[in-house]
Amino acid sequence: MATGEAVRLESVRKEYGRVTALDGVSLSFPRGGFTAVMGPSGSGKSTFLHCAAGLDRPTSGSVLLDDQELGKLSETQLTKLRRDKIGFVFQAFNLLPALTVEQNVVLPLRLAGRRPDRRRVAEMLGHVGLSDRRKHLPGQLSGGQQQRVAIARALVSRPAVLFADEPTGALDTRTAGEILGLLSESVRGGLTVVMVTHDPVAASYADRVVFLADGRVAGELLRPTAAAVAERMTHLGAWADRTPVGGF
Amino acid sequence: MFSLALRTLRFRTGGFIAAFVAAFLGAVIVSACAGLMETGIRSATPPHRLAWASAVVAGQQEFEMRKNSEKPKTQAVALSERVRLDRSMADTIRAMPGVSTVVGEVNFPVSLGKQPLVAHGWESARLPGPAPRADEVVLPAASGVPVGSTVDLAVQGSMRQYRVAQVSDRPDAFFADNVADQLSGHPGTVDYFGVVTDNPAALQLGSGVSVLTGDERGLAEFPEAQASGGRLIPLSGVAGGLSLSVAVFVIASTLMLSVRQRQRELALLRAIGTTPRQLRRMVLGEALVIGVLATGAAAALGPVFGGWLFGQFTSGGFISPAVQFHQGWIPMIIAAGATLLAVGISALVAGFRVGRIRPTEALAEASVPRGWLTPLRLILAILCFGGGTALAIVTLAVMTGPIAASTAGPAVMLWAIGVAMISPGVTKLTAILLQGPMRLFSGVTGWLAITNTRNAATRVAGAVTPIMLAVGIATANIYLQTTTTAASAQSFAEDLRADAVVAGPTGVSPEAIDRIRHADGVAAVSTYVSSRAFITAPFDENQTKKGYPALGLTDATTNAATVVKGNLADLKGDTIALPDAADVSRSVGDSVTLRLGDGTDRTLRIVAIVQERAGAEQLLLPAELLAGHTTSGLAKQVLVRAAPGVDQARLTQSLTAATAGLPVSVGDRSTLAAANAKNDETGAWVNYLLVGMIVGYTVISVVNTLVMATSRRRREFGLQRLGGFTRGQVLRMAAGEGGLIAAIGILLGTVVSAGAIVPFCLVATGRVLPDGPISIYLVIVATAVALALVAAVVPAWVATRTRPVTAVATGE
Repeated sequence: MATGEAVRLESVRKEYGRVTALDGVSLSFPRGGFTAVMGPSGSGKSTFLHCAAGLDRPTSGSVLLDDQELGKLSETQLTKLRRDKIGFVFQAFNLLPALTVEQNVVLPLRLAGRRPDRRRVAEMLGHVGLSDRRKHLPGQLSGGQQQRVAIARALVSRPAVLFADEPTGALDTRTAGEILGLLSESVRGGLTVVMVTHDPVAASYADRVVFLADGRVAGELLRPTAAAVAERMTHLGAWADRTPVGGF
Repeated sequence: MFSLALRTLRFRTGGFIAAFVAAFLGAVIVSACAGLMETGIRSATPPHRLAWASAVVAGQQEFEMRKNSEKPKTQAVALSERVRLDRSMADTIRAMPGVSTVVGEVNFPVSLGKQPLVAHGWESARLPGPAPRADEVVLPAASGVPVGSTVDLAVQGSMRQYRVAQVSDRPDAFFADNVADQLSGHPGTVDYFGVVTDNPAALQLGSGVSVLTGDERGLAEFPEAQASGGRLIPLSGVAGGLSLSVAVFVIASTLMLSVRQRQRELALLRAIGTTPRQLRRMVLGEALVIGVLATGAAAALGPVFGGWLFGQFTSGGFISPAVQFHQGWIPMIIAAGATLLAVGISALVAGFRVGRIRPTEALAEASVPRGWLTPLRLILAILCFGGGTALAIVTLAVMTGPIAASTAGPAVMLWAIGVAMISPGVTKLTAILLQGPMRLFSGVTGWLAITNTRNAATRVAGAVTPIMLAVGIATANIYLQTTTTAASAQSFAEDLRADAVVAGPTGVSPEAIDRIRHADGVAAVSTYVSSRAFITAPFDENQTKKGYPALGLTDATTNAATVVKGNLADLKGDTIALPDAADVSRSVGDSVTLRLGDGTDRTLRIVAIVQERAGAEQLLLPAELLAGHTTSGLAKQVLVRAAPGVDQARLTQSLTAATAGLPVSVGDRSTLAAANAKNDETGAWVNYLLVGMIVGYTVISVVNTLVMATSRRRREFGLQRLGGFTRGQVLRMAAGEGGLIAAIGILLGTVVSAGAIVPFCLVATGRVLPDGPISIYLVIVATAVALALVAAVVPAWVATRTRPVTAVATGE
């Protein structure tokens, strides 16, 4: 029974020892949407991403990914689900230095034991504009190029959701724009993108922005502009300052 | 995953060299040890003089002895002296189908001037020409004596004159057959028969006789080769097993380090959908490639090293040179299998860690150090410490004398593994304890070194462990050896109540003994014969597989045994004095049956019960009785006690004068002690060789670990320099860390070795500390410190050669 939601979090709590990182977060991400998750440092953005992507298990509450309850899966099942349904793009490009661009891109398919489709790989590399860099090692590429390889790798297995963790954090403004353009282009192709960022400009590429503060959802903005997001963030910062976390 | 493993190996060759070197060394050592074991199992001893014989008939050198009084179970035990055969057996053999020639051979020592020769009957020379007459001898051409001349030969302790009938190309001397029979000291019997036969399998001669064919034939000719197998097999087993377990240690720690180095990379793989199983398979794949490469490289070197070790053993007198070194394909298979197994186990250990890497670590800014004390480590540590304690208790409670050393070897390994399991915790604790002293000696660099060590205890423990192992194993083994030697020399000196010894390589004649007895300043004289014997009836529960040492004396006042009952003066004829440790429920006046070294049973009357030092109990017999049942058949040594007031020099002088013209030499106490020590020396030598091997191995892993650990800190050093450290300060900090690692490793190693040495010393010498020069320990400590400093400073020096900005930018 397919619903219109790619990812859904229900009252998710995550505690690290005595620190509460997520305090009952309920959110849903529609298919084919590009959502940016924003918040000041320590707001629980990263924890949210880890839990939503099945990289970490919440202390309580449930996460549904493509209508599948993650809490019931074993570590290996979870890994296989990640492999099939999720793509990742991280801030620090995270390519395997020993593998060429092409080998990095096909890696998820090979891990899944699938025969890499040459046409699909060529198409993905063409999509990110790196057709002529197939045989290069990551060390021989610029930061933006490496991030484009990471996007190609994330998209190659046709995932349901792409999670991006500060994908432009290490890039200059122009290169960042290219990367974000690539992501929103993918969304038009039917992909769901969830991006964690603290950059209002990056967030403005999304069609919806969710704000987190102190591990709780602190608001939402549809069809954002960079200015609106920045203003909201400033308020959030002030709001966070007034309300001390966990009785510190 | 396999191709990914291969790619990673090619990309990160540097990180895997350590594991390769460790696996390579392991394969070489295990292959060499397996070769030595094959040599021992085959004990191939090709005949020299008997090369013409298709079979050799000899007495059975072992017999079945009951294991305990309740059950009829028996075990094969070896006899220490040559079991001879009756000369008349030649006719029986000749009557067997297919037999064409039978030659009985005797071996006995003669000397021509100072040159010792082995003599036989003419029949066994199988040379053309007439047989020598009764007053003639055939000598080796190499002795340079002209044919027809008359020579003085020392035979049975006396000088006799013979005419040289012939010279031959053989290295031995030959007498007329009937003369040889008389001179051998055991007329009517031969050592063995050489047989030419078409059908060796048809030689059925009943029990007590063995028929040797092929490469076994030489065992009759060289009886000392018989012991080689018994020595090589346990030795190679222990050495191979020990180095294999060290190999597992070293390979596992290097693989673990390489895993930790690319933790983020592995976490990334987990995040993008690699299952823990796939990651473990990748690590295993990498390790196996290394293992296969290492084994391949070792294939050529293994036999070379094995041959070299064997050469050292034979030249050191530990193994008879008559034994042939044999290293076929089986040792290589064993080495390959064992190495791959070691690599596999190491990969599983490292993979265990890999499986627990969380995918979120790929996203985290810095990887959070995890608790090191896993249940597995804890259980292993508890088991090892329990085992070590149990061995110490067993040593203290049950073991006596030198046997106590047998528990010490395994005890060292147990303590070492136990400490290795908890080494991160111990490292941290020690670092905290050393904090104060270290601060006194050095400023900010020392403080930083100690803080680094404390906070990266898991990483530092990787370097501490091999140092701990090297220091522990070296200290324990070397001091065990020196203590054993000292204890043995001490007990030998205590047991021996003699001031001088007269020795004759061909025996000491009754005439010589008479002259010694009447020499000036002599209080007592006793012939001295040593052998081994078994008490066969009644059953002795305390008897081991080796039986008892048996001492033949003519005057028991030269022995230190305390008489509990009876009188040692009655030790004449068919009598014996038993140690009170023999559990035979017989007392003075009763009889016991002994099987002597040459397999003869003798029933002897007990004339005394003596008390001897625990672990050094021996049977005392009349010298004449015992000498007749030894391989040489002769008493070769005479002990002399000086009269009161006569000093050693005067005694030696008077004995030399009294024995002038006889083929004997006079020595003082130290001559006997030195001869006794020579027996221990071979054992010591082997022990040192093993220590050298294992320590050398460990040294390499120390360097590997430290080099790997330091070079990956290039970025950290770069950051420190950007933060205002001078290059000298960074190097001083690295040196401080190296020194700290050495200090912790030495401390732990000393504790580990003490776990094995202290119980042993308490039993062997009654003291807590081992016997032996302190300089050995100082050398071990100095080596460990030098090693750790070099391994810490050199990579830091290399890492800081680049500009700090570059180092920081290069990243991890």
